[in-house]
Amino acid sequence: MVRIKHIIIAVLVVIFGIWGIWAAVHFFQSEEKKVKKQFHLLSKWTSKETGENTFAMAQKVKNIGKLFAEHCELKANVISFTGRYTTEEISSYAARARFPFSNLSLRFYDFNVAFPEEGSAKVTLTAKLTGRTATGEDVDETHELECALKKIENKWLFSYLEVVEVLKK
Amino acid sequence: MTDGNKKIRQFFFPSLTFKFLIRASLVALFAYLFFGHLCTPLLIKGRSMEPTYHNGSINFCWKLRYIFSEPKKYDMVAVRFAGNKVMLLKRVIAVAGERVEFRNGKLFVDGKEMNEPYVHYPCNWNLPPRQVEKGCIYVVGDNRNMPIENHHFGQAPMKRIIGGPLW
Repeated sequence: MVRIKHIIIAVLVVIFGIWGIWAAVHFFQSEEKKVKKQFHLLSKWTSKETGENTFAMAQKVKNIGKLFAEHCELKANVISFTGRYTTEEISSYAARARFPFSNLSLRFYDFNVAFPEEGSAKVTLTAKLTGRTATGEDVDETHELECALKKIENKWLFSYLEVVEVLKK
Repeated sequence: MTDGNKKIRQFFFPSLTFKFLIRASLVALFAYLFFGHLCTPLLIKGRSMEPTYHNGSINFCWKLRYIFSEPKKYDMVAVRFAGNKVMLLKRVIAVAGERVEFRNGKLFVDGKEMNEPYVHYPCNWNLPPRQVEKGCIYVVGDNRNMPIENHHFGQAPMKRIIGGPLW
């Protein structure tokens, strides 16, 4: 009887231990992880699978807008998309940009995150966009991005995003 | 077992002695430093350098090439494009201070038509003259048989030049 009691206590200790570690990881993520998470969300919501329905599309582009600060500066000369945009404008641009693709994947690599001051982060990274248009054309683009994020109401939001122009014609 | 067989067996299935482990670790460390930082393998993707380099071919980027010297005109260089793994392989056609121009596919540097024996495909590019800024070089691919908008070329800062191909 005493043995069973000990086993139950040990199991409970293990369960609470695992739960404690999970909670610590989940609730006390480092700021760098929180910043990287925004990129993973951007990747998730920008990506498109074949046969995506209208509801899923609408939900994704709405969510993309939520990742950006109210007035975000974008500098992407490669796609002639430069200026200051509101979240609605970004969502609407994302919808238009995703539309011609039958499938699309956006992945981020080589993260270099710095925190120049409290509540702001600067990130340099590689973005790889692959996909296929509805007309069957394959797209495979890789670019270096420079981004700035601001912590607004405890959320890291994109406030600046630049596609680095390595070669200037 | 003969002596020869023994040696072959020992070569392919060495005994895990302390000496062997030290030797293997040193080889691994050297390979990591050499192929990871000094002479990195390159898989060439795309046709912008044809016929000099073909799509799918393998080469190495020799990162010490420009340690003591600067890239010269017609050198092949690796330009860091994104992160540390994505690079562009291009040819230097002009250095800082020179004026670059394309007229009906012909390259002009400082108003003088350049002889480009490495360009094998027809080209009809037109690009108004522009001066290469200080601390930069101007790079272009050898295959210009595509619309000018579809070719990655232009002025690259020297800090992005990470080396040159081994051959």
